[in-house]
Amino acid sequence: MPWKIKHYGNRAYLICELGDETRLALLSCLSVSVPEGLIEYVEGYDSILLSFEKKPEMTTLTDWLESSVWGSGAASTRQSADDRIHEVLVEYNGPDLDQVARALGLSNEEVVQLHSGAIYRVRFMGFSPGFPYLDGLSPRLHLPRKAMPRKRIAAGSVAIGGSHAGIYTVDSPGGWHLLGQTKPIFFNQQAAQAKRPDAKHVFQLQPGDQVRFVPAHL
Amino acid sequence: MASVEIEAVGSGVSLQDQGRSGWARFGVPRGGAMDQFAMRAANHLLGNSPQAPVLEVQQQGTKIRVHRDTWLSLAGAGSCATFPSWTARRFRAGEVLLFSKSGAGLYAYLGTPGGWKAPRWFDSVSVDPRNGMGQQMTNGSPLEAVSTEPAASINQVASRRLALEAQREYPCEEVYQILPGPQYECFTESALDALVRQPWSISAQSDRTGFRLEGERIQSAESIHSEPVVIGSFQVPESGQPIITMVDGPTVGGYPKPAVLHEQDLDRFAQSSPGTKVRFRWEAY
Repeated sequence: MPWKIKHYGNRAYLICELGDETRLALLSCLSVSVPEGLIEYVEGYDSILLSFEKKPEMTTLTDWLESSVWGSGAASTRQSADDRIHEVLVEYNGPDLDQVARALGLSNEEVVQLHSGAIYRVRFMGFSPGFPYLDGLSPRLHLPRKAMPRKRIAAGSVAIGGSHAGIYTVDSPGGWHLLGQTKPIFFNQQAAQAKRPDAKHVFQLQPGDQVRFVPAHL
Repeated sequence: MASVEIEAVGSGVSLQDQGRSGWARFGVPRGGAMDQFAMRAANHLLGNSPQAPVLEVQQQGTKIRVHRDTWLSLAGAGSCATFPSWTARRFRAGEVLLFSKSGAGLYAYLGTPGGWKAPRWFDSVSVDPRNGMGQQMTNGSPLEAVSTEPAASINQVASRRLALEAQREYPCEEVYQILPGPQYECFTESALDALVRQPWSISAQSDRTGFRLEGERIQSAESIHSEPVVIGSFQVPESGQPIITMVDGPTVGGYPKPAVLHEQDLDRFAQSSPGTKVRFRWEAY
């Protein structure tokens, strides 16, 4: 089986140790059809949490996975990915830019070029509402997170940490390296106050979206 | 016109309800009342819907002045000397509620007819200051009830009290059930045993995002790729002192999780104030 299923509390299963192909196939399937009784699913790095009102038997879930994701009708139920690339305008004036460049043996310009030259994909979200963990960071920019996190990072801060790029969506403490600043529009608290909040209006980005960073002064 | 005014916030007061579900994949914590059982009881006493907004009053120091004749209910910790928990009655303008009694329990829930009027984020009034959601209370904040009278019958009724068997107490050294977490197999047998062998103390550094346990260090396991986190999960950093994720905690995390609280025990566990001793026992799925 290309997945492992674990019990996780009274109401959830965690599907884990997912390789990329399986993970994407499963997510694509979940975007159009879900197992009976599912309340919500949450993406992790290589795992997906399935939360139920009443937890089904593991065999029921396994059956659903096999038929929906790998069954004959599976391909037709998959939703095609959104090809639009979200452009994020960045002022590359972050307090860690110099330090990052030095640590990696690069010039500041090279860091900016490498960071803005890639197309990223939102692998999953978390830490704060709307915070995107972005795949696609150049290996030349991989750097362990700071040993001493900052007490306060402003919303809109564009950052890198480990093998991911990210954007802080609310003021919060944090340990990633700050390369620059963009408009703090990635979690619109006001839009969350609508009677039926629309994810597209509340969050600029969603899991699976593609992103490109554009230097503000070109 | 405001029915009450928060004269002093004390240790903390916040508007809460059932929380916001369905947004975890965007990083939005569930939030809501830490003790959902007590919240429902406070609402039941007035004939409210179970999730009508309540005021979550933490520990001691809160002072609330009643400005208009109104019914109020209280459930959870018995921190108000003049208003017993698990009861509801009519209050007259000018009465003052002082939450000064220390003892068992961490949160008291103040209910009102129809719940408290408050703006909503993702259809919940739950206050999450870290993420900029909810209307925060400060000294002087007014609060208004949605309805003027309780839905429950109050004609010639002086007060209402929850049946004894429906009330809860919050004794020290309670034993809470835990289930294996996703990284159960990554921990040594002695570490898993240590979780249930010793009593733990709730650290003063605990809050709605997580309760920190103090006790003999347990041997942690390797950190993992970020994984979704269920409320009640034990996360064990290198320090070997577990952190139990509570309702405002981040929705994903990279610490290994040997255990998760049984959902039956979540509400009770959430009433463990700093310094309280707690114990756990393993249950199977």
